[in-house]
Order: sequence, then C-alpha cells, then structure tokens
Amino acid sequence: MKGSRYLLYIAVLIILLILPLYTGVYLLNVLDIILIYLALALSWDMLLRSGQISFGMAGLFGVGGYAAALIHLQAGVSPLLSIVLGGLTAGFLACLIGMAVLQLRGMYFAIVTLALAEIFRVIIRNFPDLTGGPEGTILPSAIFAGNSTKTYWLVLAVAVISVIGSEIFRKTRIHFALTSIRNDEIVAKSSGINVFKYMVFIFAVTSAIQGITGGAYAHIYGFVSPEGSFSLNFTLLPIAMTLLGGMHSTWGSVVGAVLLGVVSEFLKLQIPYGHLLVYGIIIVITILFFPQGIVGTIGQRLKKR
Amino acid sequence: MKVFNKLKQRNTQIVILIAVIAITLAAWKPHVLIEGLQRACLYAVIALPMALILGIVGIINLAHGDFMMLGAYFAYFFSVYTGIDPLVAIIPAFLAFFLIGIATYRAIIKFVLGAPELNQLLLTFGLAMVLEQLANLIWTSRPVKLSLKYVSASATIGSFSFGTFEFVYIAAAIIVLIGLLFFLKRTDTGQAALAVGQNPRGAKLVGIHVDRTYLFIFSLSIALTGSIGAIFMTRHSIFPLVGAPFTMKSFCLIAMAGIGNLMGILWCSLILGLSENFVLSFRGYAGWADILFFALIVLVIIIRSHQRQVK
Repeated sequence: MKGSRYLLYIAVLIILLILPLYTGVYLLNVLDIILIYLALALSWDMLLRSGQISFGMAGLFGVGGYAAALIHLQAGVSPLLSIVLGGLTAGFLACLIGMAVLQLRGMYFAIVTLALAEIFRVIIRNFPDLTGGPEGTILPSAIFAGNSTKTYWLVLAVAVISVIGSEIFRKTRIHFALTSIRNDEIVAKSSGINVFKYMVFIFAVTSAIQGITGGAYAHIYGFVSPEGSFSLNFTLLPIAMTLLGGMHSTWGSVVGAVLLGVVSEFLKLQIPYGHLLVYGIIIVITILFFPQGIVGTIGQRLKKR
Repeated sequence: MKVFNKLKQRNTQIVILIAVIAITLAAWKPHVLIEGLQRACLYAVIALPMALILGIVGIINLAHGDFMMLGAYFAYFFSVYTGIDPLVAIIPAFLAFFLIGIATYRAIIKFVLGAPELNQLLLTFGLAMVLEQLANLIWTSRPVKLSLKYVSASATIGSFSFGTFEFVYIAAAIIVLIGLLFFLKRTDTGQAALAVGQNPRGAKLVGIHVDRTYLFIFSLSIALTGSIGAIFMTRHSIFPLVGAPFTMKSFCLIAMAGIGNLMGILWCSLILGLSENFVLSFRGYAGWADILFFALIVLVIIIRSHQRQVK
C-alpha cells in the first residue's frame, strides 16, 4: 500500500516533468503561476500548523525577490544561486524578527506581520540608489533567457521542494510538537517542548520558502518593484487557496492552489477588474460553512462511513 | 502622595508627554502642531468605533476602514444625486450603516463569535477583501472628489496660515468620544454593554440579552464609521483602497492605548499624529512618515508583551 503510494507520486512527478513537451507556452505560464502560489500556500499552512497566522507573506516574498535581484545585479552571482541566496536572506531576516515577535500570539502576531510587510515595502521604496525606489529595478534579462520550459522546471522544483518540506514536517516529530503547541501551549510546554525554539525554526523555514519563491518570481519576470513584489495578492491568494483546500495538511493546499489557480485564470478573462472579489467571497464562505476545507470535509465524510 | 499615584497612571504620563511635545512644537514649527492635531483627531475618531467592537464584542474587525470607505462613497453619491451638502449626509449615512451593521452581524459575524480567533481574523480579512473589490468593481479605482469651496478655508495668525476646515475632525473626535463615554457610563444599555464586554456569561446570568447587546454595539460602531466616512470625503479624494490603511492605524492606536481604554486612544493618536506630521515637515524625508505608524505598532506590541511576561 505504502509502496504504491510512492509509485503514484513518482508517476505524477514524471508527468509534470515531461508536460512541457506537449503543451503550449500559455499553459506553461499558467502552470508557473499556479505552482508559485502553491509554494506560498504551503509555506503559509506550515506556519499555521503551530497556530500562528501570518499576514506578512507578501513582505518576505518581496524581500526574497529584491535580495535575489540585487545580489544578481550587484555581486554578479548567477541567477539560480541568487534565488537560493535570496531565500536565505529572507529566512535569516525572519529568524531575527522571529526572535523579537514570536512571543506574540493570535491577532497581535498577525497584525505585526502585516505591519512588517508594510515596513519592508517602505524601506525599499526609500532607498532609490540601491533598489530603484518606487519605479523598481529591471534585470538585464529574464532567467534562462525567457525559455519557458526551463522556467517551468525551476518553478516546479520550488513547488516540489515545498511539498517535500511540508511532508517532512508532517511525518517527523516537528509535526507533533507544532500540533501540541496549537492545541494547548501550556500542555506543550509542560511536556518539555521548547515552544519558542520550534516557533522561530518554523517561521525561518517558511519565510525562506517564501523568499525563494519571491526570488524565482523576480527572475522569471526580470523585474522587481515595491508595488508589484509586495502586492497584497501574494498574501491573499495563498490564504484563500489553503482555506478552500483545507488547513493543516499538505494536500489541502495543493488541491486549493490547483483549483483556485485554474478558476482565477478563467475569472481574469471574465471580470478583469474585480476577480479578487471571488477570493474574498471564498474566504468568507469557507470560514462560515466548512472551516475544514475541501480535503478536510471529504476526509471527515470518508471516516464516518 | 495622591499626585504621585496619579503620575504613575499611564494616561497621566501620556498627557504630560503630549503637553511637552505640543509646547516645543508651538515654539518651533507651529503648522506641524496644528496640522498634527487635526490629523490626530481624524485617526482617533476612526479608531474609536473599532475599539468599541474589540472591547465589547471581542472581534477585531479588519474590514473597519472599508466600512468608512463605503460611508465616504455613500456621502459622495448622496451629494451628487440630491445636490445637498455632503456634511448633511452624516445623518442618512448613520441610519444606512446602522442597517448595514445589523445585516453584517446577522449574516456573518454572529457565526464566528465562539470560533477560534484565527477564524475571526480570516473572516474579517475576507470581508475586507470583498468590500474593497466590490467597490473597485462598481466605482473603479479612479479617485473621486467633490469640489467644495469651504474645505479650503484658512485663517492667518501673524506670519503663518493654516486650514480651518480640518478643525471639524477635532470637533468630531470630541463629540464621538464624549458621546461614547456618556453612553457607556450613564445609560443602562451602555452599562449592560460594558458588563457583556467584561464577562458575557456573567452578563447572561444576570439577565442581560447578550446577543442583542452585541448586535447593537456592532451596528452602532458600523454606523459611526459610515458617518465618519461622510466627514472624511469632504476633504480627501476617495478610492476603494482609501480605508485600508486606517484599519491598521486604528488597530495600532487601540493596541497602544490598551483594549477598553477609549480616552487613551485620543492621547495616543495625538502622539502619532504629531510625530507623523513632524517627520513630514522635513523635506526629503516625507517618504519615511508612512513607516512611523508601522514601526510604532510593532514596537508597542512587543513592549506590551514583554511587560505582560514580566508580570
């Protein structure tokens, strides 16, 4: 049973890998965007498993993007390496910030992360010499000279890394630590779990994933700007995806990201100026009527039978 | 001894701090003082209804600023279609948003009162998105503004002149604050609301209708927010995202003053308004004024959490 499951994963991965041979550029582009949001949704959910909700995803996404772009431009590092370095920068920054703010819980943490995202944006906008200020910075060329197949593989790699990371977090003792923190922090503490250490660790790891995603995004489009890289979309869409698919699981975020990614591509054509409205409605309806999300609800039904 | 005890209270300390800042500014940069006062009162008057919801219903309403944005649009179209001055729209806006508040509470908020805090946050966040995008879809993101003559009225003292219309914010802040304090301290409904805010189960035990109190307080806050939107739009141009920063700023003020401390919100907003205008007054550094609020919110929340831990 277990072996066949891994075979299934490998089969899906191979199909995804050879997909570019059979599809056009447009479809690859759509897949790129879906996979980027998938990685973000997973990273958000990984932090959520400890009971902490972050609204600062766009901030770390933007920091990763700017770091990758500037390291590439100023230090002449190759794009791929600069993406990794951008992710590390975001992770390191999150580690420092986490030390200061992870004493906070609930709405205070959420609001502080939202404020931090704003702070990053304002700081970057106010150093025009280094970052290009409000206009942003244009990279000399997109990564792989814009080759859509290679770009797709890069994004696929990022998404697969975050899926594997999320599964590792679910299968090892980190999972039990985080779940017990979420359920009852005092009990977790008294059973010998170092709550603070785990929180900082998971915050740094998820932020690094967001940073890598941001770096990849910056290099794919060859452009970073305060409004574009720190856009609220990168906070809102992944949250909607995870909520719709189901919180606290890997496959919930994956299902949500694929579903909403396809829907959003369709909606963009139908209502160009308000397609985010649908995301807001999805968040509200999901919270009100089935807070477990699609995967959670189906799982419950199956268990009842 | 009494004086010493009084000095230890947070409100007194803040008042003294503000007095020192105000005197320094009056001597050095008088326009910073006056504009800062006006800006501060705008922040305060927007933050007060949010504090009311947070203190009594216990929900942090991340769609707060967006209700103000809707109120501003309401006043705009009221004025455009009827030709009446938008300041008159305060009264119909109050009534209309009271109904909107009832509808929102009945349709959405009621169901997450007992839910985990995370669900409440996400819900109001989603609600904020819906309102912003709905406004964007209907009225587009193009800013609109009424051209009113009286808003640019100004007065001159000695060598410097300042806008006088903005004093309406100060008046509004004082009226709303005194009205709310009177309501909470002197009326039966207000006392009941305070009791519910402190302990919903206890309030239920002594026969207070908790659900009705929540409904009333929530609708009252939304009504106040909507009518503040009507005042706001006389001076500022409005667009769908105009309210969003005010949600953050209001939360910042509430966190700084402490939940349930309505008077403190006014003092804290004075500090923030004055310091923000102070930074704005330096040429070339205006871009940093935006960061002030956010830096302060982070700082204040962290310091508060440390104080709690030490205790």
